Amino acid sequence: MIVSGIAAGSTYALMGMAMVIIYKTSEVPNFAQGEMALATSFFTLMLLEQRGLPYHLAFPAAFLFAIGLGCLLEFAVLRRAKEPSVLGFIVITIGLEMILMGLVSWKFGADPKTMPFPISPYDSIAIGGVFISSLELLTLFVALVLMIILFIFFRFSKLGMAMKATQQNHTAARLMGIRTNRMLMLTWGISSLVGCTAGLLISPITMQPYMMWDPMLKGFAAAVMGGMTSLPGAVFGAYILGIIENLFGGYVSIEFKSVIAFIIIVLVLCIRPSGLFSRHYVKKV
Amino acid sequence: MDMKRDYYEDVQLFTSGVVLFWFVVLLSLIAVLPFVVKNYYIYVANFVAINVIVAIGLNILVGYTGQISLGHAGFFAIGAYGTILLMTKLHFPFLLALPAAALVAALFGFLLGLPALRLEGPYLAIATLGFGLTITQVIGRIELFGGRQGLHTPELIIGSWHLNSDRDFYCLLMPLTILLALGARNLIKTKVGRAFIAIRDADIAAETMGVNLVFYKTLAFAVSAFYAGIAGGLYAFVLRYIEPEIFTLMMSIMFLAMVVVGGLGSIFGAIAGAALLSWLDLQLRNILDMPYIGDWLEALSKNYFSITGVSNIQFIVFGFIMILIMLFEPLGLYGIWIRTKKYWRMWPF
Amino acid sequence: MKNKVVWLLAAAMVFIFGLSLPVAAEVGVTDTEIHIGQWGPQTGPAAPWGSIARGTGDYFKMINAAGGINGRKIVYHMFDDGYNPAKTKAGVKELQEGVGIFSWVAGVGTAPGLAVRDYLMEKKIPWVGPCSGSLHWINPANRYLFPIYPLYIIDAKALVKYAVEKLGKKRFAIAFQNDDYGKNGLRGVRESLKKYGLELVAEVPVEIKDADMKPHVMKLRKAKPDAVLLWVGPVHAVKIVGTSKAMRFAPQWLSTSACSDFPLMMHISKGLWKGVIASTFASLPDSNDPLITKYKKEVHEKFAAKNERWGIFYYAGILLAEPLVEALKRCGRDLTRERLVTELEGLTDFKGLGGTISFKPFDAKDPYGTRQGGKEVFLIECLDGGKAKKLTDWTYFDYRW
Repeated sequence: MIVSGIAAGSTYALMGMAMVIIYKTSEVPNFAQGEMALATSFFTLMLLEQRGLPYHLAFPAAFLFAIGLGCLLEFAVLRRAKEPSVLGFIVITIGLEMILMGLVSWKFGADPKTMPFPISPYDSIAIGGVFISSLELLTLFVALVLMIILFIFFRFSKLGMAMKATQQNHTAARLMGIRTNRMLMLTWGISSLVGCTAGLLISPITMQPYMMWDPMLKGFAAAVMGGMTSLPGAVFGAYILGIIENLFGGYVSIEFKSVIAFIIIVLVLCIRPSGLFSRHYVKKV
Repeated sequence: MDMKRDYYEDVQLFTSGVVLFWFVVLLSLIAVLPFVVKNYYIYVANFVAINVIVAIGLNILVGYTGQISLGHAGFFAIGAYGTILLMTKLHFPFLLALPAAALVAALFGFLLGLPALRLEGPYLAIATLGFGLTITQVIGRIELFGGRQGLHTPELIIGSWHLNSDRDFYCLLMPLTILLALGARNLIKTKVGRAFIAIRDADIAAETMGVNLVFYKTLAFAVSAFYAGIAGGLYAFVLRYIEPEIFTLMMSIMFLAMVVVGGLGSIFGAIAGAALLSWLDLQLRNILDMPYIGDWLEALSKNYFSITGVSNIQFIVFGFIMILIMLFEPLGLYGIWIRTKKYWRMWPF
Repeated sequence: MKNKVVWLLAAAMVFIFGLSLPVAAEVGVTDTEIHIGQWGPQTGPAAPWGSIARGTGDYFKMINAAGGINGRKIVYHMFDDGYNPAKTKAGVKELQEGVGIFSWVAGVGTAPGLAVRDYLMEKKIPWVGPCSGSLHWINPANRYLFPIYPLYIIDAKALVKYAVEKLGKKRFAIAFQNDDYGKNGLRGVRESLKKYGLELVAEVPVEIKDADMKPHVMKLRKAKPDAVLLWVGPVHAVKIVGTSKAMRFAPQWLSTSACSDFPLMMHISKGLWKGVIASTFASLPDSNDPLITKYKKEVHEKFAAKNERWGIFYYAGILLAEPLVEALKRCGRDLTRERLVTELEGLTDFKGLGGTISFKPFDAKDPYGTRQGGKEVFLIECLDGGKAKKLTDWTYFDYRW
């Protein structure tokens, strides 16, 4: 149960990290995150099936597409918002979500599909009586590696520091010569890249225009539980969520499995209003 | 120009003769509507009015008190199920069942308001979102609520008045909507409303000024849930059949979008936003029947997209409209209205 | 001032009550046209079923190209409801009261259909072949409602019968979608197992929102069944079978008509669907049934959109409209709704793409006999490349409750 919870948690972790990256720098709860990954996944499917590209070309192309998409959305839409409020951003990202979803279903129709993938999603290995599929192992691996890379990136690289500075104090960062606008755009690109890995790792099983809605919500929930501004928090929250879901589904009630996560979150938030891993921050008057 | 000299002037319903004039015009339009349009448009009007009620209620919470709710479909569902069950199981008359169910919704609103005391921003969004999802799940589980098979509404009789057409229902719904809108407006002008606004602008400052945060925050949730509950009960009778899957997260999101697109913190905004978005929601499916544009879109789909997915254009258009309104006017439709008004007042300068 | 407003309002209300609308006796038929309507989700999560409504449309195009019905062309009004009952009702009202629809055909989904059932029945508008196998269509029975799609309960009976009698399975489990479709299936399976003195060893509900099927499969696996019924949609079915493969759990999978589109299922499951047994209500897509070849050539190749797939749900749209067309033909030039109902009731052993379809003069006490049109299904097994092997012939099933 715990193993399969961790496996499920990896996808949430990827989505959660993607949302945290954006929220951290620009305080936008990005509801379009899932659909950005969706668009990338279907783009990859098109490259693989219609253009017949081999994997080693299609996947890098997909990553580039994801970064481009993220940057484009920030540049063309988010940056144009005047005096935005959090609610305004929610509506804008939901609008983006609808547009992306509409474009994908318009282009590809509604029939379920599946993406060719180097490893079969249905092969598994047994570890002491517990079966874990190789795709899940890959997802776990990708999630952990990405987390470490992102951690190092934000902690030590110049670019990462600049992004962090942008988040902490926009004006000060600007005065120090950081092009905050460009930083924001890059943040969206990186976030989109992280999110798209989740999409690509779901796609080998089944693809349909609605596949990213649930992982996005769970990722968001995990990020909130972890504290919304902390990357390790999001990952930790995601695994906790996956494990709780699976334990609950296995031992208590499978019908309420999909909502138990949210009940737990409400409880957690009652105790720690800003999530597990972030300092409580009181708005000054 | 809008100087208020004393309190009574502030709470006055009609600030000027012009406002009264337009109000009367609006009322007579609403009253005449059922005679001039086809039955279908009355159904649409009913649908819009219900969304208006929710939006007004949600606006009290979001626009005036500064909280977020992504769970209003939950209250909506409670209102719908509550009304039907009170009528079928306990044989309440409709006019009693509706407010009773709405009070149940308000109770849940109060309960949800408790954790909300400590939460804000995305944290509150997720907590309320979870509430909405949980409610539909619970309703779907319990057989008393018809489970996933859904419930049919009973006959709607008030006194000796059988309401069995959309037109009849319109006559019930419109006065209620106007009443609730006026109620919300009056609430905002009272001490309660000012407390709400104080909380929105700075909750700690409000608390130091002696506003009881616990009371007013939960009250905002309860009032807002009450409105959603009333709307839900009415919605059940517009549809005459309900099942849990109707009350989705998407519905909650649309409610929030109505308020934001309309303009936060304004009753007019809530009405305009609800009317625009629910009308688009119903009408955009006909986009392919539009002259020129429809043909052009079809040709486009044939060449670049797939013809089987062509209906999804409605989402794209919907998304664009939402984004454009938010980009050009953060205050939403209300902001656009104010700007046009100002522009004409100053014209030609 | 306020008084004035109240007075105005009251006057307006009084005026409104005074009005009542006369209802037109017959709409939707002119000398040259018959207006027929349908809804079908072209957007939203249920959009894969949208091909049904498109199939009906292409079928009507064929009929019109061949001269129409008794000199009248069919004008087909299809709209997208996104599987949202509020939108279904809006669209039905818009068309019914705007254009004027003579009769409704098919229409995907139980919930959307239930939202408009009472409306159509009160107006006495015939509705032929709602596209779902729910008990709601005949319980209670309606004079103007003619369901054709075989009941999900019949699917259950056929599958259980075959698995017990031919395959000798003893331990059954079910994974069912937690809605009307799944609950009907659960009910059918329970009732049919009872006849053999068997009980389900596991009942696992699947929520439409659920993405990860591991806990569900673990539950199934723990009960050690030798046959598992899948009363879920295609995507969940593939996920369950796939997850089971990863967990080395391989019972006999039995599934419903919803997952009987084998070429599609084979493709999205990457070959895992091989060996699955499903019940189905329509002739196989590659069979040499003369009707299948005819429709494939004259409907699909001539009228379908470029990327429309010749799948079972596309021609289910034809299947569900055939009886209506047949009855319209029999009506002759003198076309009224009552006449249509009489002619539909006169259909006995009508053979189209599906099993034989019969209706009888309305009797509220015998809804299954008089109003449920399709009562036959057959079973198929999935082979390599999405081909299907016929396991049984069309089999008639009775149902009383």
